[in-house]
Amino acid sequence: MSRPAPWRDVRVLRIAFQAAFLVAVVAFVLWIVDNTVGNLERRGIRTSFDFLDQPAGFRIPGSDFRTSQSIGDAILVGVETTMKVSAIGIVLAFLLGVFVGVARLSPNWLVRRAAALYVESLRNVPVLAIIFFWYLAVILRLPTVEVAGLFVFSNRAFAVPDLTLEDGIELFGIAALVGLVAAAVVWRWRTRRFDATGEPHHRVLWGAGLLAAVLTVGFFAAGRPIGLDTPERLRFGFAGGLRMSPEFAGLLIALVLYTASHIAEVVRGSILAVQKGQGEAADALGLSPFQRLRFVVLPQAFRIMIPPLANHFLNLVKNSSLGVAIALPEVTRVVRIAISQRAPAPQSIVMLMGIYLVFSLSIALVTNLVNRRLQLKGRT
Amino acid sequence: MRSTLIRQLAIALIGVVFVASGCNLGGDDDDDGGEAGGETQTQTQPGQTGGDLLQTVTSRGRLICGVNDAVPGFGFVTEGGDFEGFDIDYCRAVAAGILGDPEAVDFRPLTAEQRFTALQAGEVDVLIRNTTWTSSRDGSEGARFLTTTFYDGQGMMVQADSEFQELEDLDGATICVLSGTTTELNLAAQFEARNLDFEPLSFEDNDPLQQAFQQGRCEAWSSDLSQLAGIRSNWPDGEGGPEALRILDVTMSKEPLGPVVADGQEDFADAVNWIVIATIQAEEFGITSENIDEQLNSEDPEVQRFLGQPVEGEPFDPGLNLDAEFAANVVRAVGNYGEIFERNVGPDTGLGLERGLNALWTEGGLHYPPPYR
Repeated sequence: MSRPAPWRDVRVLRIAFQAAFLVAVVAFVLWIVDNTVGNLERRGIRTSFDFLDQPAGFRIPGSDFRTSQSIGDAILVGVETTMKVSAIGIVLAFLLGVFVGVARLSPNWLVRRAAALYVESLRNVPVLAIIFFWYLAVILRLPTVEVAGLFVFSNRAFAVPDLTLEDGIELFGIAALVGLVAAAVVWRWRTRRFDATGEPHHRVLWGAGLLAAVLTVGFFAAGRPIGLDTPERLRFGFAGGLRMSPEFAGLLIALVLYTASHIAEVVRGSILAVQKGQGEAADALGLSPFQRLRFVVLPQAFRIMIPPLANHFLNLVKNSSLGVAIALPEVTRVVRIAISQRAPAPQSIVMLMGIYLVFSLSIALVTNLVNRRLQLKGRT
Repeated sequence: MRSTLIRQLAIALIGVVFVASGCNLGGDDDDDGGEAGGETQTQTQPGQTGGDLLQTVTSRGRLICGVNDAVPGFGFVTEGGDFEGFDIDYCRAVAAGILGDPEAVDFRPLTAEQRFTALQAGEVDVLIRNTTWTSSRDGSEGARFLTTTFYDGQGMMVQADSEFQELEDLDGATICVLSGTTTELNLAAQFEARNLDFEPLSFEDNDPLQQAFQQGRCEAWSSDLSQLAGIRSNWPDGEGGPEALRILDVTMSKEPLGPVVADGQEDFADAVNWIVIATIQAEEFGITSENIDEQLNSEDPEVQRFLGQPVEGEPFDPGLNLDAEFAANVVRAVGNYGEIFERNVGPDTGLGLERGLNALWTEGGLHYPPPYR
């Protein structure tokens, strides 16, 4: 069987077209980059990333950043703030979202309606409006507390007592480890005994009690190695304790409330997507409503909800850039300050986009791994 | 099989179109570059032949002035829709000097980002819009800065009932600033030079900043003194009005503000420059809009020369391509520098600014008009 001429051979043509298309795309991208760089240079705009090493010249509130440090360091400080608000926000939004999502399906009329009101009112409002509401209308209206108590909620700072580690903490750490091991051993012993004799196991009580006893003895034996660092009032603002700036608190609260309203809907949908027979089977086994939720429904719902959850986690990270509106120095704000101090805008914005891309891809990677682990094996 | 082939062809075609359009775009862009280059050339040309913009303005019969419309006292729009302020009066002065009519002005409100582009593109003849004279703006914005009309500086505003008097009292305080070109830098430089600690809270927008300051989130608000005076004068009565705020007696930076024209318009630049100088010179001579008609008959030959009255038969012509009586026209229309200052931003206005650096050189200020001869 003779092959057709190459220009009529489908296999050859297919590869040729693909190659031509690839060349076209690469040429297009190269041209765009070259054209941009060329035009920027012609207009005397710097195209290198040297500016990252130049001294920043500005300060960043809430950090010990010095003006003599470089712009690159300033951006890292911003990245840290973004990571903090995102990490805390994701955890809190997830917990609140699961709680509200389950409440949405509660047989209790009041609980169900209250959860629905929460979801519908927050989900349909722009997140920027929520941020402004919490910062301008709530947090800034808090009093300027003059005397610090154990807990401070003022428009100058949010603060709670912090734990400090002092001498002898190593000893206490060893005691804690011993306590944990002992608790685990007792747990297994109670479980085995329960399996063997049917005598009530009370393993939580046994384990926790033993651990608490060991920790208490260890704490005093090591000479009280953990202290309490309480907030104190300075001439301006507060020091000590675990502190949060009002801007950070405002953004965090707004992001958590907003994202949780979306997560609640995902949770509700995922629970409804669990086969009805599963719940009925749990009932047939005589499980309590809580046990049904905890051991049968939620584990299967989690499997369904992970991909959409990842989406909302990503949105929370991206929405944290709205902190610019309330002077929170997260990475977008820092980059914008740098630009106003003559850092070149094209490079700075490209960097900013790259930073968010790394955040998003990291979250996507983690959730993909979790997703793969949780998927049912052997299903096609 | 045939349909896949067609699909492949279509994809390849799209690719080709991409490349082609890419080339086209490239071509267009180069053309644009060429045109832009051409434009700058044609723009610089009048400068070489001389006086083109001055002639253009004269023959047009109207001056187009780029202004601010949101800074009380300097350039803002009244409830009646009229432009008013210190900078606006200088637009009128230029119109009176060149065209003999202070009303022959069209005001173009410009944002900070637009202003230099508008000037370069010839959309406005002159920019009088609280623009700080800096080397990089003079050098790379194609702009020419003329005699400074207002010596501004970055200042600090606090609540009137606070005990702060100087920067040292604010050691460790939180300072609210509006994110700007130099505000954060000046603040950091000044505090660190004095070895003081502070936290800057830099907002992108005035409204949240004002809220934060009102609610005591920050001890002080830093911005240009003229801006602070404007904010203070408009402070809501519910918050105690202007009396509730106090501006500290510190100046943290140099911000000379004045008219700007495009590079290469030599005759026009000279004309605007000397009109500004004339207002200052008039104050030095004691010529006001009230006594201008008496001054026309002054015995002083210097005053006679300045007002374009015949000295030994001939009115003095410095060769500025302006009417011999331009200074008299300017003073008659808007008054001398002191009058413009008092009327718009002085102690009797809402802003309540003292002359300070803006006094004449004879009174310890910086306004020192070159001799008119």
